[in-house]
Amino acid sequence: MNLLSWLRKVPLWSGFWYTLGVLYFILPLYATLDFSLRIQRDVISLLAYQNAFADPGFLKTFVYSNILAVITILFSLLLIVPTSYWIRLRLPEARRIVEYVTTLAIVIPAIVMGFGLISVYGAPIKIPFTSIQLTDSLLNSPVGTNFIVIMGYTVLALPLMYRSVDTGMRTIDVRVLTEAAQSLGANWFTIIVRVILPNLRASILSGALLTFAIVVGEVTISSILNVPAFSPYLWLMGQHKAYEPAALSFASFLMIWASMGVIQIVTGGRAQASVAH
Amino acid sequence: MGYLTLSKISKQFADAVVVQDFNLSIEKGEFVSFLGPSGCGKTTTLRMVAGFEVPTSGQIILDGADITDKAPNQRNVGMIFQAYALFPNMTVVQNIGFGLRIRKEPEPAIKERVAEMLSLTHLEKHADKYPYQLSGGQQQRVALARALANHPQVLLLDEPLSALDAKIRVSLRSEIRMIQKKLGITAIFVTHDQEEALSISDRIVVMNEGREEQVGTPFEIYNFPKTAFVANFVGTLNTAEAEMVDPVKGIVKMDGVQFESANQVEGQKRGDRVSIAIRPERFSFASEQKKANVVDCKIENITFLGSVVRIQITIGRTKFNMDTFNNPFLELPKIGAVTQVTCSREAVLILDRQ
Ligand SMILES: Nc1ncnc2c1ncn2[C@@H]1O[C@H](COP(=O)(O)OP(=O)(O)OP(=O)(O)O)[C@@H](O)[C@H]1O
Ligand SMILES: [Mg+2]
Repeated sequence: MNLLSWLRKVPLWSGFWYTLGVLYFILPLYATLDFSLRIQRDVISLLAYQNAFADPGFLKTFVYSNILAVITILFSLLLIVPTSYWIRLRLPEARRIVEYVTTLAIVIPAIVMGFGLISVYGAPIKIPFTSIQLTDSLLNSPVGTNFIVIMGYTVLALPLMYRSVDTGMRTIDVRVLTEAAQSLGANWFTIIVRVILPNLRASILSGALLTFAIVVGEVTISSILNVPAFSPYLWLMGQHKAYEPAALSFASFLMIWASMGVIQIVTGGRAQASVAH
Repeated sequence: MGYLTLSKISKQFADAVVVQDFNLSIEKGEFVSFLGPSGCGKTTTLRMVAGFEVPTSGQIILDGADITDKAPNQRNVGMIFQAYALFPNMTVVQNIGFGLRIRKEPEPAIKERVAEMLSLTHLEKHADKYPYQLSGGQQQRVALARALANHPQVLLLDEPLSALDAKIRVSLRSEIRMIQKKLGITAIFVTHDQEEALSISDRIVVMNEGREEQVGTPFEIYNFPKTAFVANFVGTLNTAEAEMVDPVKGIVKMDGVQFESANQVEGQKRGDRVSIAIRPERFSFASEQKKANVVDCKIENITFLGSVVRIQITIGRTKFNMDTFNNPFLELPKIGAVTQVTCSREAVLILDRQ
């Protein structure tokens, strides 16, 4: 903050840093766009985009990743909303521990997690300390594999999802609202669905979009577990094609920007509402 | 037995006993205030009635049914919070209808009841607004309407006016009292503001360190405080140490000055140390016809407090405050003058020593 306020006092410097920052983000993007339009010599065309979208692998992996992203979002919401709610309501002491646990995904490299998942779930699952086998290795069936991939994605999305939801919980007085609803006869399910969730709309949406971006962009776990996800496909295509991956990268950027726009619109309206409060 | 009875309620948190052996019986339709200093257990007691805390021991009986261990959503108890606690995602109408909808009342019945509540609390104009579009006073009225919509058996209010500014506080408190009387609803009102408690309650429970110190009408609490704590907490009060001279006639001596009291205290002997208490407004300048308690005093200071003039006097070696109503023709003695003041035998209270 100190550095920032110091920089603000020096208009020349702030202009310089601002330009540098913009260039840092814009230049590679511009280069990607420019490159993706030059598949034909000396002609600007969208042919690379046509090729990329026409590839059957594109649609397959894109749809797959989208479906998994939606399931991951639902699953992590199911996990995190009640957890964060309960911590705010009854276990404020546990907040630091849970916050720490959620950041593990950032600390532990995805490749370690990927191999960890394989070594644990590659073997048949037994009841501990016995030889009674519950199921065959989950990785032997597509459903089981997808399940494990979703669990992996959930862990990766945990830090952002938890923080988004928890910030949302902080802006409403969870305890008092819960007690007010209880004294009006509401049970836990009603309280969460009718009172807590609607007031978390903005933070859930931003958590969801960030999770979406993480899942669609995830390479490591998807490759290690060998599922037909979008990012490994993009990476693979980059190995033997030049222009199409650039086109798809730029298209993904546009998609993420659109998502950010949606977050801005939804959370912006919400922020104004709470200022007037 | 009353409509709502708390018998031998105690509440212990991990390290501290917060409410101890608390007993209270409230009649149907009564408006009772809990008055006491911060941390004396008012909120905790109220929350036990609401079901948010479970008593460590004791029993709560509401309309003949033991509700001690019932979950809050199984009791029919309305609660008003200091922080309003409106649902930010719902309009005024939706907030008020929330409890009715949970009970799955038919939609036309909900509509009718919500309209009734809106007119009761004068919120018709704000029906479709969201909480953030309302002032604090309006939000608290919505909270009141929401709690009342469910026909609660008891209405609990935890310092509902503390977050509001002085003017709204006074007007809303009389509005709350009017609505309570109109509906004949039983209510418990928590406050640490004595004026608030005195002005709207049928009865006041003065609490101290988790116990009920005295229970009585505002008139009783103000005029006949039973303990030094109550006397000090409610209203301004002069207290002084004195010695019992004649327990039967109620004569005590303070700094060599004799006072007669109408108030008999059991078990006192000649020579016992006692506390005496006299309210500032009970003193007046001595005139011929008064016989009892005419004492010499010295005028120390005079302060105008608007409608009241507060005069500091010394009787013996002890400082007292004396209040007299202000009027343009008031003749006041000079500072430093020596004169005589008097108070009736009834004005001199002999308090339990604690
Ligand atoms: N959940 C809790 N755990 C531990 N101690 C608590 C808890 N709730 C209240 N206390 C303690 O119990 C005591 C009484 O609290 P309570 O809120 O009932 O006081 P109060 O009379 O309402 O005070 P105030 O006028 O400040 O609101 C306080 O010392 C408080 O610290
Ligand atoms: Mg309190």
